[in-house]
Amino acid sequence: MSENFVERARYLCSLGGAAATVTALPGGIPILHSASGCAGNFAWTQNGGSGLQVGGYCGGLTVPSSNVQETEVVFGGEDRLREEITSTLKVMKGGLYVVLTGCVPEVIGDDTFAVVNDFRGEGVPIIGAVTGGFRGDSYWGYDLVLQALVKDYVAKGAAKVKGRVNLWGVVPYMDPFWRGNLEGARHLLELLGLEVNSFFTSADTLGGIREAGSAELNIVLSDLYGQGAAQVFQEKHGTPFVTTSLPIGVSASEAFLRQVGAALSLDPELVQRVIDREKRHYYQILEPLTDCYNDLDLQRYAVVVGDANYAVALTRFLADDLGWLPVLTVVTDRVHESGQPAIATRVERLASGFSTNVVFESDASQVLGHLNRVWPRAAGQKYYNSFSPAFVVGSSLDRELALQLGAPHLSVSFPVANRAVLDRGYTGFRGGLRLAEDVFGQIVANR
Amino acid sequence: MSYFDNKVPPKREDRLNAVIAHQDSICGLARKGKGGKSCLIDDGERGFTQGTICLLLPALAMLNSLPDNVVLLHSALGCGSCTHSQNANVRMGSNARRGKAQDGIWLSTALDETDVISGGEDKLERAIIEADRRYRPASITIVAGCVPGIIGDDIDGVAQRLQPQVSAKLLPVHCQGFKTKIWATAYDAVYHTIGRNLLVEKGVAEYTPQDELEVLREQERLARTVNLMNVSSMGRVDEQELERLLASLGLEVNVFPVFAHPDSFVKATRAALSISTCPTHDDYFLGYLQERFNVPSIIKHMPIGIENTSLWIRDVAKVFGFEEQAERLIAAEEAELREALAEFRPLFQGKKVFVSAGEFRALATARLLQEIGLEVVGIRSFHHDHFAEVEYEKLAREAKTDYVVDIANVQPFEEANLLNRLKPDLFLGHANGNMTAAKLGIPTHVIYNTGLAYIGYRGVYELARRLHRQLSNPAYNRNLAENLRLPYSDAWYEAEPFSYLNTRGRSVNE
Repeated sequence: MSENFVERARYLCSLGGAAATVTALPGGIPILHSASGCAGNFAWTQNGGSGLQVGGYCGGLTVPSSNVQETEVVFGGEDRLREEITSTLKVMKGGLYVVLTGCVPEVIGDDTFAVVNDFRGEGVPIIGAVTGGFRGDSYWGYDLVLQALVKDYVAKGAAKVKGRVNLWGVVPYMDPFWRGNLEGARHLLELLGLEVNSFFTSADTLGGIREAGSAELNIVLSDLYGQGAAQVFQEKHGTPFVTTSLPIGVSASEAFLRQVGAALSLDPELVQRVIDREKRHYYQILEPLTDCYNDLDLQRYAVVVGDANYAVALTRFLADDLGWLPVLTVVTDRVHESGQPAIATRVERLASGFSTNVVFESDASQVLGHLNRVWPRAAGQKYYNSFSPAFVVGSSLDRELALQLGAPHLSVSFPVANRAVLDRGYTGFRGGLRLAEDVFGQIVANR
Repeated sequence: MSYFDNKVPPKREDRLNAVIAHQDSICGLARKGKGGKSCLIDDGERGFTQGTICLLLPALAMLNSLPDNVVLLHSALGCGSCTHSQNANVRMGSNARRGKAQDGIWLSTALDETDVISGGEDKLERAIIEADRRYRPASITIVAGCVPGIIGDDIDGVAQRLQPQVSAKLLPVHCQGFKTKIWATAYDAVYHTIGRNLLVEKGVAEYTPQDELEVLREQERLARTVNLMNVSSMGRVDEQELERLLASLGLEVNVFPVFAHPDSFVKATRAALSISTCPTHDDYFLGYLQERFNVPSIIKHMPIGIENTSLWIRDVAKVFGFEEQAERLIAAEEAELREALAEFRPLFQGKKVFVSAGEFRALATARLLQEIGLEVVGIRSFHHDHFAEVEYEKLAREAKTDYVVDIANVQPFEEANLLNRLKPDLFLGHANGNMTAAKLGIPTHVIYNTGLAYIGYRGVYELARRLHRQLSNPAYNRNLAENLRLPYSDAWYEAEPFSYLNTRGRSVNE
């Protein structure tokens, strides 16, 4: 990981993540207070990275934006923002308007909240978030929007309702499989009889989000994304949270159900019944693969390259569910040193007993170097235990690595330029079956 | 003093009086051209605006295509993430030209809160040195976004200081998005650094032919070598069409600057002529090539559509005295094309079309659509400057009605309102710009995509063929319209489409 630059960053800035997050909210209208090019930059990025998904109800080049120019840099942009919000309320039909700031207004010192609060005072459903690009990446932008919702939109003082939970940690558009993954995780929780508020699926509503304070537990499917908001939520609304990894596949889903069951003190027998039923179904479906798994010798060495959610979850799936050998796990987020152990330990103690090598590296061009360190290259010897047959699960930027290794490849983590993704998801028991289909499908593609 | 003596190129608002907010009609704009008054259009302002792009995006589309170049963005983390989609063009383009799909290399100094306060020059210096060592590129383009523009980082100073320490050629490019509303300033920004840094012989002495015959041959070759300017608006398939046409006049083509190796840029200074395909792209640089290296240029018609392609060829032929040859070529090509188009015409006849793109692209494409039998009922040009007057005149001559021209840097809310009134049968829009029309149920087609053919005679046929395909089954968009709604209020559809033009500050259009 370079100290001085990020190579082909696998994320946008916090404004980019924030805008995508608001677009994904039911009836959400982002209002950018930024330079004119930010929205277009996000649209182009999603076009190339989010599995062919650009925007939604109000995304892409449709988002209102104050488009600040030199005049505003000199004289301040607050009047322009006020005008833009006033016009937006007339032109755009939405349920919730969220003002998001970019670099320029923040550097020149605009008081965005002063403007937003004037409209709030008049009863307009509008909130603001300070999301200037220099504050962090798009995953942090997601967190900032959730924090704004928690602080300024979710109703205070709601009585807790037994069995009601909020579900976070999957970032819209940054995870190209966000819809499917949220629905898969939601489905797992519903199997336990829980009432789930996941904010971004078609089953969610703004009314539900406003009542989110009534949840007895927040479940964050990520060691990083949404953690800030979960803490703010606990402070403001008194709801505790549990952090889990993204539950991809049978082993992870089982652990996830047990963890949530324990956190909510659910009847262990109920949890066990659900797990038994789902596993029976899973293995019934997997059963007929057995001949070909053996006959075609489908076990693989693997390199996993992905964001903090996927790097962990995919490694675990490959090792614990498929019995593969993922020898290198590359986490592509720029994680602060203090946050690295929490992620690394998740793949150091795998149920299968297999352990991988974890590195934190954002730059695709450096992954082969890391692999060479953990798996020395041939030195001309007659017998060489080569890194083959291999598979690369990563992003479309990791195709080059796969080519160099002569390995098949599947894009899962952002950017996914070479797959069309609508509501496919890998979470849950069934998600594991989808992922198994996709990786084995790549191996036999030329059969 | 030349513009190229300054660190930063002028913005197009200043250099060309280009505007982005104006309401007019086809005849109105054509008349202004004839009366020589169009420069008097003051730019308007909108009281409601939607996000668009800035000059950084088209600049990166060019820079990422250069082989052996590393793009180093000096800005906050998100600037340049657009490359994730542009990289598809880099991969396809390098595959088409060099037989291997290759990813571009783009880096970001990812300025953070500390840098905003204490300045980012030190970080940039370290990034340049590390990029030079890690990638060993021929050049590093140092592209500044908004933040360095406000905090005052001097990327030219850094490049100058570090150049002796690195082997890559350092090329500063100024793309502060808040400084210009006209994103076509991007082309000037890239050409500016090319002109200042890459048009001189580098390192190895030029090969000197030994015998006289070789000298003569080389002179003869250069005398019929032309620069074909491409700033990324043409894919390889379009370049090939123009190369084919120019080769049939006996000309050799040097495509410049996309996908050209930075070390080879100097070739552009030795050509007999530079040919632009779009006045929105190249005027800044062609003026410089003329002034500094005596390379004359043609920058007038865009070779999109039958008439425009023929006019484009005639202009080139005239320079070399190949008029007769050109007329024979044109006659043969046009006859063959018109015959081939006959099968599509019945479906196009009487259908109304709305066109949206960069000004020249929109106008030339509109002319093409007229030629294949469609009726143009509206145009949105992303900006306006005087180069386009001749195109508005061509369109006005053939217009059935005095239809609307919206000068707007996208602004789909105006488009939604206009389309709802005009109800065209077909819409052609730029990348990420067809969504509004599609959700209204109008058949749509992308007006620019480097994987598809648009240019020359072949482009006319291929575009007609694709439009015929779209119109033969527009069910996809129809289904969208029946099941989705755009995010605009009912009141907005009732309002005048230009209600928000000039509701804020500034002067009113004359």
